Amino acid sequence: MAIDEALIEALEAERGVEHVEELGEISAVLIRRYAAAIGETSPLYSDSAYARAQGHADIVAPPNFIAAVINWGPGAPYERLREDGTEADTHLPGVPAKGVRVMGGGEEMTFKRPVIAGTVVTRTTTLADVSERESSQGPMLVVRYSDRYRDAAGESLLETVRTVLLR
Amino acid sequence: MSVGEETETRGRTLQVGSVLPAADYPTSTVQIFRYSAATWNTHRIHYDKDYAVAEGYPDVLVQSHLHGAFLARYCTDWVGANGRLLELGLRIRRFAIAGETLSVLGTVKAVERLDDAHAALALELVETRGSDGETCATASARIEIPLDWLASAAADGMSEGRATT
Repeated sequence: MAIDEALIEALEAERGVEHVEELGEISAVLIRRYAAAIGETSPLYSDSAYARAQGHADIVAPPNFIAAVINWGPGAPYERLREDGTEADTHLPGVPAKGVRVMGGGEEMTFKRPVIAGTVVTRTTTLADVSERESSQGPMLVVRYSDRYRDAAGESLLETVRTVLLR
Repeated sequence: MSVGEETETRGRTLQVGSVLPAADYPTSTVQIFRYSAATWNTHRIHYDKDYAVAEGYPDVLVQSHLHGAFLARYCTDWVGANGRLLELGLRIRRFAIAGETLSVLGTVKAVERLDDAHAALALELVETRGSDGETCATASARIEIPLDWLASAAADGMSEGRATT
């Protein structure tokens, strides 16, 4: 399958449909591992006493942590992973698992509140819009997804707009 | 350097066109693996060199979100506890492989008064790879800073709320 009317119709049908997922608790262990992985040295991301002295209830997640996690679940069984190691369900509502090449087109993040260890996070994903564009390799679709991350009280933590290119 | 000294050196100096100090972020195969683990990213392009070579790359690739983490860290390290990162929008332009050192440089594109004590800087960030100086990622960032970090002329020019190039 390439870019055709059926794909455009399937994507248009997704526009505005909200997909709500419970991502679970952002634990201190997850935050400390992420901070170590990126080479972060500020104690804000690893030392609870320091974070409290800065006015936070506990350590803080680096800004793009919750947007960077690829899978919040355990992952698919090995026999269901694709050749490149990724999962068929890649957080792209409306995009078929096969036949379309997906490329990242950038991400805009608006940081609303610091994500503190112990926060339970819910993500609402919505396909915002679809547009067609001609590229040197033929027709391409530009799809933008909105992700809204909230805590258990419904307060906004992070809002992102992801752009993906399909051809 | 203490926070007080940093504030002293930045005090009343920032304006549109100011260039912030560059920062370097070395990468390694171990770091890229550990980043995949911490984000539960199973894509072979980040840990399987044979697969990366078959896809046409010289080695495993730095994740797009790891580029984003370096760009975010550039902002939070620079502003410290005196302000905060409000927005970051990034685009990946070229790949970077394990072992590259990525350098980030920020330029002030606009200043905006938020209230009597705070301003927002709009920064343009460029991340380049050390091997050939090519741009791997670009970003726009918006950072809240103390109002008195701005050069007085920049602060005076904000009566309309925003000053740009």
